[in-house]
Amino acid sequence: MGIEHKRIDLSINLGKASLKNPLMTASGTCGYVDELDDFLDINQLGGYITKSITIKPRLGNDVPRIVETDSGMLNAIGLANIGVEKFIKEKVPLMERYKTPFFVNIAGQIIDDYVAVADKLSQCIQIAGMELNISCPNVKQGGITFGTDPALVKQITCEVKKVIRDKMLIVKLTPNVTNISTIAKVAVDCGADALSLVNTFTAMVIDIETRKPVLSNRTGGLSGPAIKPIAIYLVNKVYNEVAKPAGIPLIGGGGVRTASDAIEFIIAGATAVTIGTATFANPDGAVKIIEGMKGYCTRHKFSSITSLTGALK
Amino acid sequence: MESHLPKKGIFTASVLQNRKLGDKFYRITIELENKAKNVFSAAVPGQFVEIDVSRLALPPENHVPAQYADASQRNVILRRPFSFADIMVSDTSVVAEILYCVLGPATLRMKTLKTGDIVSLIGPLGNGFSIAEKKKTSILIAGGMGAPPLVHLSGLMKSQCKDMEIVVFVGAKSVSDLAFFDLKVDKLIKTKVSLGEFDKHKIKTHISTDDGSAGSKGFVTDVLKDWLLKNKPDAKETIMYACGPEAMLLASAALSSEFKIPCQVSLERRMACGTGLCQSCAVKCLNKDDGSTFYKLCCKDGPIFWSDEVVWE
Ligand SMILES: Cc1cc2nc3c(=O)[nH]c(=O)nc-3n(C[C@H](O)[C@H](O)[C@H](O)COP(=O)(O)OP(=O)(O)OC[C@H]3O[C@@H](n4cnc5c(N)ncnc54)[C@H](O)[C@@H]3O)c2cc1C
Ligand SMILES: Cc1cc2nc3c(=O)[nH]c(=O)nc-3n(C[C@H](O)[C@H](O)[C@H](O)COP(=O)(O)O)c2cc1C
Ligand code: FES
Repeated sequence: MGIEHKRIDLSINLGKASLKNPLMTASGTCGYVDELDDFLDINQLGGYITKSITIKPRLGNDVPRIVETDSGMLNAIGLANIGVEKFIKEKVPLMERYKTPFFVNIAGQIIDDYVAVADKLSQCIQIAGMELNISCPNVKQGGITFGTDPALVKQITCEVKKVIRDKMLIVKLTPNVTNISTIAKVAVDCGADALSLVNTFTAMVIDIETRKPVLSNRTGGLSGPAIKPIAIYLVNKVYNEVAKPAGIPLIGGGGVRTASDAIEFIIAGATAVTIGTATFANPDGAVKIIEGMKGYCTRHKFSSITSLTGALK
Repeated sequence: MESHLPKKGIFTASVLQNRKLGDKFYRITIELENKAKNVFSAAVPGQFVEIDVSRLALPPENHVPAQYADASQRNVILRRPFSFADIMVSDTSVVAEILYCVLGPATLRMKTLKTGDIVSLIGPLGNGFSIAEKKKTSILIAGGMGAPPLVHLSGLMKSQCKDMEIVVFVGAKSVSDLAFFDLKVDKLIKTKVSLGEFDKHKIKTHISTDDGSAGSKGFVTDVLKDWLLKNKPDAKETIMYACGPEAMLLASAALSSEFKIPCQVSLERRMACGTGLCQSCAVKCLNKDDGSTFYKLCCKDGPIFWSDEVVWE
């Protein structure tokens, strides 16, 4: 006899947070809080990661901010957001309508910005944790990305850790580095409760008629199905080299569109999985993925999804 | 979002007909079923839908125009936005009409939709035009492929505002670019005032082409300017609606301020989601109080804007 479909336990522990299933929205692809309401029941999601919030409101880049590529897209939104104060006043209270844990993605251009945002958000009881987006250029260091420099990752993670009280700290890794495990290790050593990977890959599309880049920002981040196999590889690498030995959970993502994609990330070593770009075409896709994960567990006789994490042979 | 607009959602619809018009243009009619019937019967001209073409196959190689042979190879993952050209509501059915032009991988695939095929739609999206019921004269300005939402608008005005004078100006580069005119070319060439898509609403159309191959020679906004100078409509009793390439919208905005006639424009941006999730569709707007600029979202706050709120670049 197989296991009954409805008895499959999809719940997971993600550091300090308990999620009813492994599926989370990816930052920047699902709005602030309630934008997906017309398409799905947000309570069905395992977790929700908001768009990046910065200390001051940001208008974002000029258009074009996106361009579609083969099985993917580039974006250079430029962290357009309403700023932490307005976010706390107008958006955070909306979270009370839902049971799903909310994680706020935070970004900045100097370390003090991250710390100030984290400090303010740590006082909001509605928030389960924060995700550090360290893929932003650091203005003080001449525009190099925080997440590519182990010394900066150490500093930023330790400083934020000091102010976030009981909130969970997720560090989101950029794949645009030579050895992602080096950065992962630093973040874990500084007290990250979980790591999420991957953010987008820096890329460019050129309009050959005008010989200009299509995006006004010239470069953008590649996401979508095109990046999935690389993301799977990186999740598996960080799982084996850092997360598993340290006992730290991973949130895997990059090109997830179907339940099979999500399961693939979990087998590679992820505890939770994000859906990003795929939400644009299928805003109700997350719910279908959750159902599909149950189906896989039934077929393969896993009564609990947690035993699948890192089950790569 | 304004409260009279129907609540958006993700729906399926079946194709009734998908037919070629002239050289480059197509008309597709789709029938909405079940819940979508109510929702779409309340859609407003200027609103749009996001169509999923990612599951459609390409036409055979000999049906792919040479200039799109390379682009056609690209896999499509994002939906594409299309305005309603009409929504026909009867006791038994709700049918939406879309007029489209083949320009790249998505619209090439749309060509292959056949009667009975099922398509996935997200909509109705955006704000739509606001009809100025009390005004005496409405001037509609369509450039290139900008006709569809104005055809929809003219139909509604014709039925709702019996005493309103509706004057339509349609312009294109050349006779073969006169979008959606289901007429023999020779007839178009002969006449300056003709009937095209607007014919079904019995509205005469002033035609112009940049090269003079049909209608008057010159830009549509120049023809409109002559008309304004000659007919001197009462600015307080007149309103303009424009849809077309951004340069034409800019010229319309200039006429709007010169003649003090308010003007609504329909803007296009590259859209990844169409539903306010991604911030890709920014439109730079002016804060009239302090002269500062800020971004609105074309998909959510637009696509219809007042011409004097947009910062034209
Ligand atoms: C609100 C809205 C309503 C629309 N209504 C209609 C309609 O009723 N009928 C119709 O035929 N088309 C309409 N369009 C345009 C339509 O969405 C595009 O033609 C379509 O996405 C092209 O897809 P493709 O894959 O075939 O070509 P792509 O390869 O995606 O695009 C073809 C060319 O157009 C450019 N382009 C694509 N999208 C945009 C954009 N948003 N702004 C500026 N340049 C762009 C590309 O750079 C490329 O050169 C609308 C667009 C918007 C935003
Ligand atoms: C339009 C867009 C905006 C994004 N904005 C953010 C952001 O503000 N902060 C962030 O950490 N990641 C952002 N991301 C990255 C996603 O969260 C995700 O890590 C990445 O897109 C890979 O996953 P996917 O292929 O499922 O989209 C953005 C991605 C897209 C496509
Ligand atoms: S297209 Fe995504 S926010 Fe407008």
